[in-house]
Formats: sequence, C-alpha cells, structure tokens
Amino acid sequence: MSPLFEARGLTRTVAGRRLYEGLALELRAGEVIGLRGPSGIGKTQLLRQLARLDPPEGARLCFDGRASEDVPAPAWRAELAYVIQGAPVLRGTPAALALAVAGLRAQRGRGTASQGEHVDLAREWGLAPGAWEQPWSELSLGERQRAQLAIAIARAPRLLLLDEPTSALDPAATAAVEKSLRGRAAVWVTHDPAQTARVATRTLELGA
Amino acid sequence: MSGPIELSWGQIALAASLILVNGLISAWLGLGLGRRLLVAAARTVVQLVLLGYVLVGVFETRHAALVLVICAAMIVLAARESVRRTGRRYAGIQLDALIALAVAAGATVLAADAVIIGVEPWWEPRYLIPLFGMILGNALTGIGLGLERCMSELDEGRARVEFLLARGATRWEAARPVAAEAVRTGMIPMLNAMTVVGLVTIPGMMTGQMLGGVSPMIAARYQILVMFLIGAATAAGVTGAVLLCVRALFDRDHRLRIERLRRASGS
Repeated sequence: MSPLFEARGLTRTVAGRRLYEGLALELRAGEVIGLRGPSGIGKTQLLRQLARLDPPEGARLCFDGRASEDVPAPAWRAELAYVIQGAPVLRGTPAALALAVAGLRAQRGRGTASQGEHVDLAREWGLAPGAWEQPWSELSLGERQRAQLAIAIARAPRLLLLDEPTSALDPAATAAVEKSLRGRAAVWVTHDPAQTARVATRTLELGA
Repeated sequence: MSGPIELSWGQIALAASLILVNGLISAWLGLGLGRRLLVAAARTVVQLVLLGYVLVGVFETRHAALVLVICAAMIVLAARESVRRTGRRYAGIQLDALIALAVAAGATVLAADAVIIGVEPWWEPRYLIPLFGMILGNALTGIGLGLERCMSELDEGRARVEFLLARGATRWEAARPVAAEAVRTGMIPMLNAMTVVGLVTIPGMMTGQMLGGVSPMIAARYQILVMFLIGAATAAGVTGAVLLCVRALFDRDHRLRIERLRRASGS
C-alpha cells in the first residue's frame, strides 16, 4: 500500500536560523505521528509547511499520490486540516466561522458536508451548543479550542495536522477528543508524553 | 451680474493678519505650533501663487501634452499624499495607490469632460485641471482610509484569515470580509459629504463659482456633477486600491504574507 502522505527534504529557515533540514516523513492511513521536541524547535513551522501555509523551501510533498505542485493550495488544505495552536480569539462567533468554512469553494466541491457535524463533535467534548452563538472573545480558552478543533476536523479531511489541540482541556474532554480522533491519520504535536503514548503509532522527535 | 472684485496684494496682507489669531492661541495655550503655522501659511501663499502662474500659462498655451503632464504630476503627488499617514506600509503601496488613482480618477474625469459636459477639445485645461483636482483630492482621502483599514484588519484579524486559508479558502475568499470592510471605510467620508452638502457646507467649488460671478443655479449644477464624479472616482479608486493591497499581502499560493507589512515610522 502506498503511503497517504510523503514529505522529503523538509527544511525551514526563519530569520536566518535553520530550524530543521532534510527531514523526511511518511504516513499511512490511520497512522498518527506524535511530533515532539522543545519549544521553538520548529514543530509549528513543520505543520504549517505540510499545510503549505509556509514556503516549501525546496521540500517535496506528496498527498495521495499527487505532488503538491500539481494540487492548488486550497484543495490541498481542504484535505489536510491544520489546527492552529493556542485557539486564538477570532472576530465574530464560532457559528459564523463554521458557516464561512462551509461556503468555501474548496469545501463545497468535496461533497462531504453534513450540517451540524461540528456541533455534534464539540458536544461530545463537552462544549455547550449555546457557545456557538457567542463571540469568540466571550469564550474561555478551552471552549475556543474545542470549537476551532471541531470546525477544522469536520467535513472529513483525510489528514489532521494538530498543534497541541487539547492543551487547554481537562482530562475528561481530552479523553473525549482522543476518542473522536482515533483511527484518523494525523501529525499530532503534544508536550505530554502520556498523550503521545496514548495516541501516536510512531513518534518523531525534532532536534534529537 | 458683475465680475468678481479683484483682490490686491494689500488685501491679501490684511487677510494674512488673521493668521495672527492662530499664532496668539498657540502662544497662549503653549501649543508650540508657531513655527508650523508660519511654515503652513507661507506654503499656502507660495503654492497657490505658483499654481496661479502655472495655470495662467497652461490656459494660454492650450497644449494637450502640457495639460497631460500636469495631470500626471497631480496623480503622483496625490498617490504620495494618500499613503503618507497610513500606520502601516508595504513595498509598492505608493504604486498601488497611484494605479488606483490614475485609473479611477482618469476614467471619471474623461467621462465627465468628453461625454457629460462635452468639452471641446476634451483636454481643455480650464475644465480638465480643476475637475481633476477636485476628484483627486477627495479620492485620495478615501484611498488612504481604505488602505489603512485593509492593512490593519489583515494584521489584527490575521488569525481568522489564516483559519480560513487553512480550511481551503483562496486568498480572495479569505480576504473578502476584510476587503468589504476596508472599501466601506474608504467610502464613508464621501457618503457623509454627499449627505450634508448644501445643508451644512457650501462646497469650495460652488463658493468659487459664485464669487466668480456665476449664477448659483449653474454653480449648483456643476457642484452636483462634481459630487457624482467624486462619488464614482472614490468608489472605484478605493476598491481598486484595496484589491491591489490584498494582492500584495498574499502570494500566489494563497498564503498570507503579513511579514510584508511594516509599521510606518513617525506616524
């Protein structure tokens, strides 16, 4: 079976500093790579590069047998869901954001829409349905994290790029998120070795 | 109706004494504006006298190339002025403002001269230059506001923009709410002006025509024309400038390149 995702020659330089160089990565369906390493080593940059939100710097990326050069970035990112670290305060409400995502051309074309999937997901993680209509600024960090994660992973993306997706959640909510994500291919950044042991089929240590 | 009373230099000197009021207020409140007042007053005199001389020459020679050179210079100055006070910058912002101004103001004034008023020839300086000046002067304010808003919204709202990009938005989809907000901001002063004109303000052009002996009804019609020209040019100019700004701050791979923004110094 050919891998779902392959990356060769991953290199990232920020402000003249080489974070990593010549890194390779391979992922099969259902596999989870636990990405670890000290803060500032480039874990976020690596995820952003895989999502093509940062420049490739000569890396070769291949998803489902297609090279990144042959796939427009929006279509690529619709299949590789990158979840932003730290669940920032955004403009508007979670419901409005979910609606905006559902209206994107790259999402409409995928035909995987199920209305309210994100609401159901987040409810399983303990997010009250009323939170969707509140402004992001009135939600707690944990609420924002669950809502943003739910919007990002709904609509069946085939690879998840998770940047500490449960860092602000209590053990019960964390366990619920881990349960929902079981069986889905992911690159999962976490600082918690116990979580890595629970969710990852393999680990990749940056800076090792 | 008789022609205007010609102002002598003595009368201008008398008017200059009014600026002393500003000077006294500045001294009394310790505003420290004395020097700037003096410079501003001197610039007013020098710039307007020079403009007068230049226009006398241009009106008399009536040379198309000369008129167009002057219009080009006006566009360059307007573009510089429109982005001078923005709190953020990117490389090429001035060129973007220039393109937006040139296309929007150029097309509008051309339509006005050649089609609506029917001036013969269309570049007749007595019509083209004052109309162009009015349009540019207003459009540059709108463009400055629109660009400022576009840059600050992309900067401060970048998390939402990136969230949408990460879920598969094209750069235009991700920037659309930002661009709409920026265009709205850029058009507000023009809409305000159109709302209060004639009630709270008698615009400069109409005042000028009436002082010059033109009937208020004719002056009013010209003013209506000018307001519509300003409205069209501002709307088109702001939209164009905001779209160029979005194009500059994203790349072809639909990435937000916020590092291209620089905080402007001294603003």
